[in-house]
Amino acid sequence: MRTKPVKHSPFLWVALVVLLVSATTMQVALEGKLERPAMKADVHWIQSPGLMRRLAVGFNAVWADIYWIRAVQYYGSTSISKDPNKNFDQLYPLLDITTSLDPHFNIAYRFGSILLSEGYPHGPGKTKEAITLLQKGIREMPDKWQYYHDAGFVNYWWERDSQAAADWFMKASKLPGAPNWLQPLAASVLAEHGERDASRALWIQLRETAEHKWLRDAANRGLMQLDAEAHIELLEPLVQKFFDMNGRFPKGWQELTGGPVKMLRNLPRDPAGYIYELDPVTGSINVAKDSPLFPLRSRDRG
Amino acid sequence: MDAIKTEGLTKHYQVGFWRPRPYVALDNLSLSVGPGEVFGFLGPNGAGKTTTLKLLMQLIYPTSGHAEILGSPVGDVAVKQRIGYLPENPYFYDNLTAEELLVYFARMFGCSASEGRTRAARLLDEVGIGAERRFQLRKFSKGMVQRVGIAQALINEPEVVFLDEPMSGLDPLGRREVRELILRLRDRGCTVFFSSHVLSDAEALCSRVAILAKGRLAAIGGLDELTSVGSRGWELVVSGLTGDVLARLKPRLTRATELGDGRFSLELPPSTIPEQLIPDLGGARIVSLNPLRGTLEDVFVEQVRATSAERFTEKVAS
Amino acid sequence: MRSIAIIAGGVFRDSVRDRIGYGLVFFSIFLMAASFLLAQLTAGQDVKIIKDLGLASASAIGLFIAIFFGIGLVTKEVERRSIYSVLSKPVTRTQFVIGKYLGLVLTLLINLSVMVVAFYAVLLYLDLTTLDGAKAAWEAPALDPRMLKAFALIGVELMLITATAIFFSTFSSPFLSVAMTFAVYIIGHFGEDLKNINSIVKSVVLPYITKAVYYVMPNLSALDVKSAVVHGLPVSGTSMMLATASCMLYIATLLVGSIVIFSRRDLK
Repeated sequence: MRTKPVKHSPFLWVALVVLLVSATTMQVALEGKLERPAMKADVHWIQSPGLMRRLAVGFNAVWADIYWIRAVQYYGSTSISKDPNKNFDQLYPLLDITTSLDPHFNIAYRFGSILLSEGYPHGPGKTKEAITLLQKGIREMPDKWQYYHDAGFVNYWWERDSQAAADWFMKASKLPGAPNWLQPLAASVLAEHGERDASRALWIQLRETAEHKWLRDAANRGLMQLDAEAHIELLEPLVQKFFDMNGRFPKGWQELTGGPVKMLRNLPRDPAGYIYELDPVTGSINVAKDSPLFPLRSRDRG
Repeated sequence: MDAIKTEGLTKHYQVGFWRPRPYVALDNLSLSVGPGEVFGFLGPNGAGKTTTLKLLMQLIYPTSGHAEILGSPVGDVAVKQRIGYLPENPYFYDNLTAEELLVYFARMFGCSASEGRTRAARLLDEVGIGAERRFQLRKFSKGMVQRVGIAQALINEPEVVFLDEPMSGLDPLGRREVRELILRLRDRGCTVFFSSHVLSDAEALCSRVAILAKGRLAAIGGLDELTSVGSRGWELVVSGLTGDVLARLKPRLTRATELGDGRFSLELPPSTIPEQLIPDLGGARIVSLNPLRGTLEDVFVEQVRATSAERFTEKVAS
Repeated sequence: MRSIAIIAGGVFRDSVRDRIGYGLVFFSIFLMAASFLLAQLTAGQDVKIIKDLGLASASAIGLFIAIFFGIGLVTKEVERRSIYSVLSKPVTRTQFVIGKYLGLVLTLLINLSVMVVAFYAVLLYLDLTTLDGAKAAWEAPALDPRMLKAFALIGVELMLITATAIFFSTFSSPFLSVAMTFAVYIIGHFGEDLKNINSIVKSVVLPYITKAVYYVMPNLSALDVKSAVVHGLPVSGTSMMLATASCMLYIATLLVGSIVIFSRRDLK
């Protein structure tokens, strides 16, 4: 005679449901109230590239991919963070580990250097580290002209060091497979008044030859920043003229678009569509802080 | 040529980690088994029976001495074609079915898959495994595994079969079936060497037995030989015995037991010849007259105790 | 020879019926599918991570099977004493060891093939759903046949690890065997560091010891071309053959060693 399976009392089922609901509710209620440890330390679990490489025992490539993903995430989340004290300190170590685990990780060198050199607060503004990373890439793959080109680029665009940039472009031009516009580019960066044109040429070349969409997007952004700079240079004389006429700088753009002497037809917007900021005290013009083109390179250097 | 022969077969183990001492599992075993015999290899647990079988199958190696099967040294691959072995408490591959297991083994003897299936089917019938043969062995009870074990020992129609505790795990019906199987093997001319500690099986089947105790051969010989040593007299069963006849006979009897219904079992000492008693029975009728032999059990216990005593004195002396 | 084939077939059938084996292979296929999701996070490196993860999981799962099943091949049979009935048949201990080895190797190679098929299927899907413009950024095509080279060498590595597992299991406990086989795997990948230990640790005696260990141990990092094929770098057929030949020598050594040890053992 078979016995029926044991029936659990309905009380147990009820208790189960109640407990699950309470636990979930409590989680929701506590969201954000519990202390969370600071994000900083756990961004990468192992600090040393050498140790990481040894620990990976045959699975380096996957770990490199993981670290690359973390680097990109880290950059992205720090970039949009509104924390006034934020820093991008972990970015270079993450990229260093990525490229130690997989020395042929092309995009990590190229895009990594772009991320590293991007100006604060959008990026870390660490041009020295960007060049160090590219030099590491050059050691691993000495024939990649793109890395020399990128190093020259960082020097020219961010460091405003035309001579160093030209040297890099010349070195790049001598490598097998290097395109033939590198030598003329070296020449133009050294030319006195060719600065903005050379920069424009650089960005355009990057956009044309870049293998990755992300690089092309970065190039487009650079071109828009150049346009913004040119635009600002056109606006500055107008503001100066206002000063000459009224003894003070305009309080806002409306004073230039409205009023008795209409100097501007519309409110001036940058290529990304954001209205430029006008400082009523100093009269200086810049892209708006929330514009994706912020910050422009400092125009006081060099 | 003997079917099985051992000479001075000895196995020592080192026991203990820090100061290993030798443990004598088998000491100088010399015996021979003729072709066609059913040979019982008896002894209490730990006597060395399984050790002997493993030595014969070359699962372990002797410390000294040697053994032969069918004239060739143990381990000879050609000879393995002609023998079968059932290990004690056998375990086979759980995820195979009984059929698959037998076919797997059959192929090792050179059978084709179809030949193997034929043999497997026949043997499974013979050992009483029915429709379960298509289930995986993990689902089998101990008794069923035992039957499969016997089947696999016979898959190659061997000339010599080694069975280690063949009855273990079987119910009385199973035991009876295995006994009959062993007798059938004997009738086919197969030599059967089986070890057991169940004496009634040996008594029913064997022509010769050896008794092993504490690694030593305590006794060996035909059943009759062994048990006739120490004949204990006679048992005379009579009916219709009157009390006064019984009283008169009593001094010449070892024991008299009333069986009820006027029947008596009279035990005569070996010194008394039954024919001499019969005229004095009065009107009583003889129901049966049997010689009282020492059972195998008596021999067994006696020999085992003797060996223990021997070993003990040896140990004390060393 | 026939006995070897029968025993090998037995191992293969065993593995096919083993649920753990299935689980592992499905897990690797799952991983490959999951890598699709991860690919979104890589800033355009989707083909790279899918290839990396596919190769790595095939290697890792193969390794797991080789070590744990490899060690069970002999020890399980001895412990459970199912080996008693096998060795009473006309099968020598040599044939037993070799048959078990070949059976597991066959299983591993078939599992590996399944994973290769799944791998290329995932890459085919990626290839079909990616625009040509994005494909220009790939260092190597999605359906790159050169990746088969990496898989082939993974197969060789697994054959070596299986032989190592069997070797240790002929004389030590399962736990120790697992540990020692893992150790061989790790040391095999540390090769370069062993050779150049001077640059890391300053010592007089240590370099001799580590150099000796380096030469005695198989160099497993020579079998690791995963990174090269993913980046589209050339992998020379000659070096592949030499590395494979060297491994075959190791495998033969380990198997002979296993046979010698196993043949002399008492199976209690």
